[in-house]
Amino acid sequence: MSFGFIESAVFALLVIGMIGAGVGVVLLNRITGAALLMAFTFLCNAGMFVLLGAETIAAFQVLIYVGAITVLILYGVMFTPQRDRPYALFFQRQTPLAALAVVPIALFAIVAAVVSFSFRDNPDAPRGSDLVPLATSVFRDFAFPFEVASVLLLAAMVGAIVLVKREEDS
Amino acid sequence: MIPLGAFVAVSAALFFIGVAGVLVRRNAIVILMCVELMLNATNLALVAFSRRGGIPDERGSVFVIFIFVIAAAEVAVGLAIILALYRNRPTVDVDEVHAMKG
Repeated sequence: MSFGFIESAVFALLVIGMIGAGVGVVLLNRITGAALLMAFTFLCNAGMFVLLGAETIAAFQVLIYVGAITVLILYGVMFTPQRDRPYALFFQRQTPLAALAVVPIALFAIVAAVVSFSFRDNPDAPRGSDLVPLATSVFRDFAFPFEVASVLLLAAMVGAIVLVKREEDS
Repeated sequence: MIPLGAFVAVSAALFFIGVAGVLVRRNAIVILMCVELMLNATNLALVAFSRRGGIPDERGSVFVIFIFVIAAAEVAVGLAIILALYRNRPTVDVDEVHAMKG
C-alpha cells in the first residue's frame, strides 16, 4: 500500500481549488465573494506547503494570510460601499492588450516549468519537520534582515495610521 | 511523489491569474487581492525549490517569511491609501481616479 495515489489525489484537489478560486477572484463581480475565494486560495496554498513538507510555513500561511490579511481586506470591503457596476468595462481598451501580455507568457512559463524542472527533481528531499532548520536559518544567517523586517512592519503600521487619521482642526 | 515541475506550473498559473486580475479589474481592493495572489504564487515556487530543487536548503522558506512580512505591510498601507482616497472622493474604481493624470 503506497501513499502515492493519495498524495496525487490531494494535489489534484488542491490544484482545482486553487486555480478555480483564483479565477473566481478575477471574474466574480461580488467583491465579498471575491475576498472569500481569495481566502480559499490561501488555504489551498497552505495545503501545498504541507505536501511539500514545509509544515511551519503552512502554519504561518494560515495564521497570516487566511487570518490577518483576509480580515484586513474584508474590513476594506466593509468601509467602501460597493455600487452595482460591471467589474470591467465591456470594451475597455486594455483588455486585449492585457490578454496579449498575459496569455502567451503564462503558457510559455507553465510549459517551461513542467518541461525543465521535471528532470531536476530531488527525490531524497528531507521529509521531516522543517522547524529546526528554519529557525536556525532565520536567527543565525538572517538575523539582521529579520530585524530590518520588524522595522519595516513598524513603519508600515505608523504609515497606515497616519494615512487614515482624520485632521481634527480642518 | 509529485514532481517539482507540477508545483512550479501551478505557481506560474496562479501568478498569471493574478496578473490578469491586476490588469483587467477596476476596483482597487480587488487589484490588491490579485497582488496577494501573485505573492502567494511566488511563495509556492520558493518553497517548492527550497524543498525539492537540488540540494535541500531552508533559505527559500526564510525568503517566504520575509514575503509574509512585506505582504502584510503592503496590505496595510494599500488599504490605508484606498480609504484615504475614498474619503476624498467616494470611489474605489481606479479609472475614475485621474486627479494626477497629465
